[in-house]
Amino acid sequence: MVILQANKIYKTYGNKFNKQEVLKGIDLQVDKGEFVGIMGASGSGKTTLLNVLSSIDRVSQGTIEIEGKEFTGMKEKQLAEFRKHHLGFIFQEYNLLDTLTVKENVLLPLSITGISKKEAHQRFAQVAGELGIAELQNKYPAEISGGQKQRTSAARAFVHEPSIIFADEPTGALDSKSASDLLNKLSDMNRGRQATIVMVTHDPVAASYCSRVVFIRDGQIYTQLNKGDEPRQSFFNDIIKTQGVLGGVQSWT
Amino acid sequence: MDLNYIVYRNLKKNIKNYYLYVFALIFSVALYFSFVTLQFDPSMDEVAGSVKGGAAIGTSSILLVAIVAIFLLYANTIFIKRRSKEIGLFQLIGLTKGKIFRLLSAENLMLYFGSMVAGIAAGFAMSRLILMILFKILEIDAMAELRFSSEALVRTIIVFAAIYVLIMLMNYTFIKGQSILSLFKVNVTTQTQIRKMPLWEIVLGILGIAFVGGGYYISTQLFSGKYTEMSELMRAMITILALVIIGTYLFYKGSVSFLFNAIRKSKQGYLSINEVLSLSSIMFRMKSNALLLTIITTVSALAIGLLSLSYISYYSAEATAKESSPDDFGFARVEAKEKFVQALDAQNIKYKEIHMKPIMMEVDASGIMDNSAFKSPDDRLLLTAVLSEKDFSGMDLQPDETTIVGYGGALQQFMSLSETGEVIFDTLNGKVSLQVQGNSSEAVLPYYYGGGGAIFVVDESRYQGFVQAQNPKVQRGEGKREYYGIELADRSQRAEANEIFLELKPEQPSFSQYEVELEQRSNMGLIMFIVGFLGLTFLITSGCILYFKQMDEGEEEKDGYTILRKLGFTQGDLLRGVQFKQLFNFGIPLIIGLCHSYFAVKSGWFFFGTEMLTPMILVMLLYTVLYSIFGFLSVLYYKRVIKASL
Repeated sequence: MVILQANKIYKTYGNKFNKQEVLKGIDLQVDKGEFVGIMGASGSGKTTLLNVLSSIDRVSQGTIEIEGKEFTGMKEKQLAEFRKHHLGFIFQEYNLLDTLTVKENVLLPLSITGISKKEAHQRFAQVAGELGIAELQNKYPAEISGGQKQRTSAARAFVHEPSIIFADEPTGALDSKSASDLLNKLSDMNRGRQATIVMVTHDPVAASYCSRVVFIRDGQIYTQLNKGDEPRQSFFNDIIKTQGVLGGVQSWT
Repeated sequence: MDLNYIVYRNLKKNIKNYYLYVFALIFSVALYFSFVTLQFDPSMDEVAGSVKGGAAIGTSSILLVAIVAIFLLYANTIFIKRRSKEIGLFQLIGLTKGKIFRLLSAENLMLYFGSMVAGIAAGFAMSRLILMILFKILEIDAMAELRFSSEALVRTIIVFAAIYVLIMLMNYTFIKGQSILSLFKVNVTTQTQIRKMPLWEIVLGILGIAFVGGGYYISTQLFSGKYTEMSELMRAMITILALVIIGTYLFYKGSVSFLFNAIRKSKQGYLSINEVLSLSSIMFRMKSNALLLTIITTVSALAIGLLSLSYISYYSAEATAKESSPDDFGFARVEAKEKFVQALDAQNIKYKEIHMKPIMMEVDASGIMDNSAFKSPDDRLLLTAVLSEKDFSGMDLQPDETTIVGYGGALQQFMSLSETGEVIFDTLNGKVSLQVQGNSSEAVLPYYYGGGGAIFVVDESRYQGFVQAQNPKVQRGEGKREYYGIELADRSQRAEANEIFLELKPEQPSFSQYEVELEQRSNMGLIMFIVGFLGLTFLITSGCILYFKQMDEGEEEKDGYTILRKLGFTQGDLLRGVQFKQLFNFGIPLIIGLCHSYFAVKSGWFFFGTEMLTPMILVMLLYTVLYSIFGFLSVLYYKRVIKASL
């Protein structure tokens, strides 16, 4: 089942005298339960792609559908409503509210949906158990480690069971141990909950946890790699190779 | 791009950002200038009879300078911090600290003196309005003329130039003491440490509420007769002040977060957007502003309290005058009365004469003082005036009955007397016991006779008996044995009759109710006027400071709004949450300030007048309305921040 369908999306910045095309006609399809990685060098447009896919930024041209709902033409208010129900976010900088405890941060997306208190506590117990943050629930973000923060952030993304979760360099600020820990948890959740995740990263190790990796260069899809039944190690090697071609020495002559 | 251009650009940008600062500056200058203009205005000394108008205003203008100076310096620390990144950037591109200082000084010079010129112009226009208000309050029929006083101008310029130098000095030490790195980090370091609430904070929180409550409790007991000696009273007052001020500080430091934390705990982690934006943010931020909030609360409580008291006094001038001189005119000597009466006859003013002969007696009032705080027998022996029932139309007492009049105002608060009971009159022929039948707050004798004490009225035959057997040792001097009152038939002729009274200059003791009322009006009016304007200045400056604090807080919380909007909260959701938050941010200090002043006023208002609620509520309403304006402005600011956050 198709969760996300993006057709010929363009994104340009600036005015008509000084135009900068960041996305140049990208087509992307994500099925339910997929864990898709988006890779590319700095300035390749991968974060812009994530922003437009997640409705935070608007496309200049093209259409995006999530679960069959087209949202590029929606008004600001409708977009907020849409994000509330269909999208979950994990950011590089955790983006937790400092003044809220771990539990309060996680339950934040539920409070807008008007779910009952009892159900909210059940959901928290479940997602916190899966991500191993149950003991931290009354701590403030300033009191826990980066890895714990990112797992909290992940829990917040999963708790309202969105159609799709967008992760922007989730491991960018973590040490390698916390990073692999988080990625393991993410892929567990991906398999266990049939959750759909789209993750932007420039780290090949992180990308190797995905089931599919999309490479972007200069605002266009350069190539895609499918993991299939390969072990993670060999998928990692494939990614490194592709990245080498993608970002490697170009023939200038 | 040279330095001047940078200065110009900065100025343009800053005026937009700091319009409120500029407004506050203009307002301060205007107020100060008009105050000083009043001080040097020759019409001022004619204004306020016994109180030298100019001198009173001069003293308060010093207070005004203090308020304004503290405000401007404080505002400057906020703004220089906001611009620390810019200063760091200038240093990074190679400007020396001296040059940056000159840049800032030049920019400030234009901003500051520009506003000053505008302020002086506004103040000049305003001084006439202020003079008109003052004349209106004092009921003086004079034209408020517009005089430009060069003395006032010079003084204003000197004062504000001195404040400018202080500000520059502050900026200089700020720039000198900072490294490039620390300038970039200023905003980070101001952020509050967010962690779990330690136990001592919970203790502080409970203590804070207890202290304030204790202070309030003592204040209600202050004049109930519990503290009879002056030294005890002083000690009680100091205790109240200390309890309330320390309590307020602890309240902001601990109680607010303690209470909010308790509410949050009860939600078990499932917070609505309003709670996210208000509870959690205020919990942590109010603590760091505890000192500032305490000062603002205390001074605004002081301002509201003083303003209420002076307004109470002004408002009840008529009733107070009635208490101190119950009839329109009163005389102790028959010749003085005769002269006045003849003059009234000549002017065809109709009147009614009243003649009373109070005798002084010792009365043992133990029987009606059961509920009173005066326990010792000495305190229960009252030396008081006694009158006959025939001085009161429609009063008919049995020989063994007595009733109490003139039992009102402060007396009622001090000494509670039962409506019925037995009192024992001490005469030369032994003790006479009478039954008390009710009491009335109506005053019948000028303050001069009864000394503000209760007066007993007895049956005519009993009165004659008392006269026969009066104890000469307790009688007052010659001038206090007879009282002649004049009650005008038509009260609209009071002013006219008062003219006659003043012209005749009857020998003392003689009383004119109208004159007392006028005097009270003009004295209290001037005080009210001064307290009102100082209070207004304080209100505006402290409102600005709270607003600036909110501007900072808004910037700091911008990231949070970004997150929330990404999660799918709409701008409307956030704005509602912010409004809710501002309700607390501005509401809590306001309500505490109002509570403080309520209890302060309540504890001693009866010394100032006869009506508490109406004048106090009017003052409080006015204060609340003006104060709320800053709350609304801050919400508008937040609206912009929220809009720009995604």
